[in-house]
Amino acid sequence: MTEAYSTALQTIIDEFKNISPEITNTFIFKKNGEIVASNETTTEDQIKKLITAFNNVADQAETIGGIETLTIQGANSQLNITSMNNRYLATVSSRAADQKIVKTLTRIFVPTVVKLVDQIAPELADNKSLQTTKPEDKLIEEIVLPVEETSHNEQTPDTSASFSSEPLLPEPPVNQFMIEKIGGLLVPVDTVRVDSEVIAKWNDLYGDKQITQVHIETLEGKKTTCKFKPIKETNHNAKGIIQIPEKILQTLQTSKGKLVIAKPVIE
Amino acid sequence: MLKPKTSTNEAETAIANEVIVTAVDEENSGFANLSASLTEIRKLKGVIGYILRSNTSAIIDLNEQDKIIEYAVLSTQMHDTSKEIAKQFNLGQTESILVEGKNVKVLCMSMGENKISVFMEKSATHAWIIKRILL
Repeated sequence: MTEAYSTALQTIIDEFKNISPEITNTFIFKKNGEIVASNETTTEDQIKKLITAFNNVADQAETIGGIETLTIQGANSQLNITSMNNRYLATVSSRAADQKIVKTLTRIFVPTVVKLVDQIAPELADNKSLQTTKPEDKLIEEIVLPVEETSHNEQTPDTSASFSSEPLLPEPPVNQFMIEKIGGLLVPVDTVRVDSEVIAKWNDLYGDKQITQVHIETLEGKKTTCKFKPIKETNHNAKGIIQIPEKILQTLQTSKGKLVIAKPVIE
Repeated sequence: MLKPKTSTNEAETAIANEVIVTAVDEENSGFANLSASLTEIRKLKGVIGYILRSNTSAIIDLNEQDKIIEYAVLSTQMHDTSKEIAKQFNLGQTESILVEGKNVKVLCMSMGENKISVFMEKSATHAWIIKRILL
């Protein structure tokens, strides 16, 4: 488990208290006792004792196919543990917490992010990566993670690094966007429009390299590469938005409101 | 199918050979009531069995006889572990424990000295079962 990977997960769980203050403890651990990330209110001793207790149940739970989730409902609070790619997310929340939010965070949101990060940059989850790299070689990139459709999308920093020998070009940053459909007579059918802030960051990252195309992938794995432009309207709430014409939506077999991952094509 | 529990060895033999093993403690009326509730719950679609035990009595009713011992050990472990975790994180008195596996989920509850474990398919509605037990 790399430091970059842990930092990314740490950033996510630090946001839990902002999303739902009733969530008092959040941490991610592995069965071997490794603590991947934890919030400040949880002590190491608490986590270690929980891991021991959890392993006792997990050993016996092989008979039901292992543990996917474990929930203990107490009179004051409840504890939930969700399995995600050999890691476990544990949260403790008061009974007053909105269960929809808690379930969305613990069973959908974080496991999905972990799965995506594992797919996009598997080397981040690998112990051997990054360890020989100097800190200044690490390049910060960004994943846009929409929390609610109606609100501003929140940007969660993620870290990644590139080790290509020559020339030293960073890996294309991966961004997650929510789809808006775009149409009209003057709209080219082969061009998507992307949040201009994100494009500016791409340009900053690659300096003189001209970026003309973007690679888009849906959460279902449909992919395409097409031209892109910045979103036009200056007052438009474009943060975390990608505007896609009908033809490309059909290619990707997706629709308005869905999420896609996009990264610039660096040639 | 109901058999009085006379000794540990006989009970173990019965567990291995019978789907249902029981020894009823007449002084524990809660046990009898829970037994009646669980008999009803057992009929629900998706419920594959249950274990009800007190300090002196036990009922095991499971579809998969070859897994009775494994399920009984898992059930005991869940009850014991939940106490430790609840204490560690100040959860208060444990009301229910749910473990979801790949195919099966297990709901455990403690009602006084009586400990319940209901085994069900993942599609079964455990919330309804909790309500039914608490009635």
